[in-house]
Amino acid sequence: MPMSSSESATALKRTVIIAIFSAVAVVLGILEAQIPLVGMGLMPGAKLGFANIMILTCIYFLRGRDALLLVVLKTLLTAFLLGSFSSLLFSLSGSLLSFVVMFLLVRFGGKRFSLIGISIAGGLAHNVGQLLAASMVFSSLSILYYLPLLLITGIVTGIAVGFAVRYLVTSLSKISLFEEFLD
Amino acid sequence: MKRGDVLLISIVLVAALAFLAPRWFSSNDEGGPGKNLVANITVDGKLYRTVKLTEENQTIDIRTKRGYNILKVHDYGIEMYDADCPDKVCLGFGFITLPKQTIVCLPHRVLVEIASASGEDDIDAYVQ
Repeated sequence: MPMSSSESATALKRTVIIAIFSAVAVVLGILEAQIPLVGMGLMPGAKLGFANIMILTCIYFLRGRDALLLVVLKTLLTAFLLGSFSSLLFSLSGSLLSFVVMFLLVRFGGKRFSLIGISIAGGLAHNVGQLLAASMVFSSLSILYYLPLLLITGIVTGIAVGFAVRYLVTSLSKISLFEEFLD
Repeated sequence: MKRGDVLLISIVLVAALAFLAPRWFSSNDEGGPGKNLVANITVDGKLYRTVKLTEENQTIDIRTKRGYNILKVHDYGIEMYDADCPDKVCLGFGFITLPKQTIVCLPHRVLVEIASASGEDDIDAYVQ
């Protein structure tokens, strides 16, 4: 199906944005993997979730399928670069559940929740998805022992990520590349 | 912040604290000698070995096609001593001594859970 030039320009912009966002998300993912959270006395397995900044921003500007592509790209690339393929199943189930929750909240809960609330919900969904996948693989619920602690750290990191997304959305809205994706 | 955000945060906090609170009150004097605790080690969802938590040192080597994990038992507790998994999250769980505490190594599918040995005294995997 032939596209008009403005349609193809939009498609190209989307592709460029997804590519940039994936690159930034992967870098953020690698950066936070270097931060020794456990050494600082935090929950093992807890993460700052900085890559979520890019995913939530993408959901905000682009369509759901674009953000889904970003989530899959980011998860696969991070697994490649960190060599953590054996835990791909867990990170994928976490990030997919987190994506679904944030997507639904941005589309249908935007009046009741701010970006901060949505980012918290996404972070919590990430933890829950990962732990559920783990408890299925282990066929044991004992991993959920750490869920309450992960929920609390998830709230804290979710607030930080939410503020970052708010600043990023405001700044990006001023760039011409993002102009036509504003609602 | 909107009202929905505050509601979400408070509900999750209350739920998390509701799960945590009973642990703070009951976890004072469990573990230690005379409690007969064991550690159930499962790999890929199947029981690999059950180890009595003794005061003496024991080293448990878990070698699978995914890699190795080395557990150490001492002073009525157990800890992950070394592993060649990519994320090393399992090493961060530290030394655990209380029932229901766990050590998880997701990449290697290894789960260690402390349980009380009462009711299943005929454990024959007592490793010297």
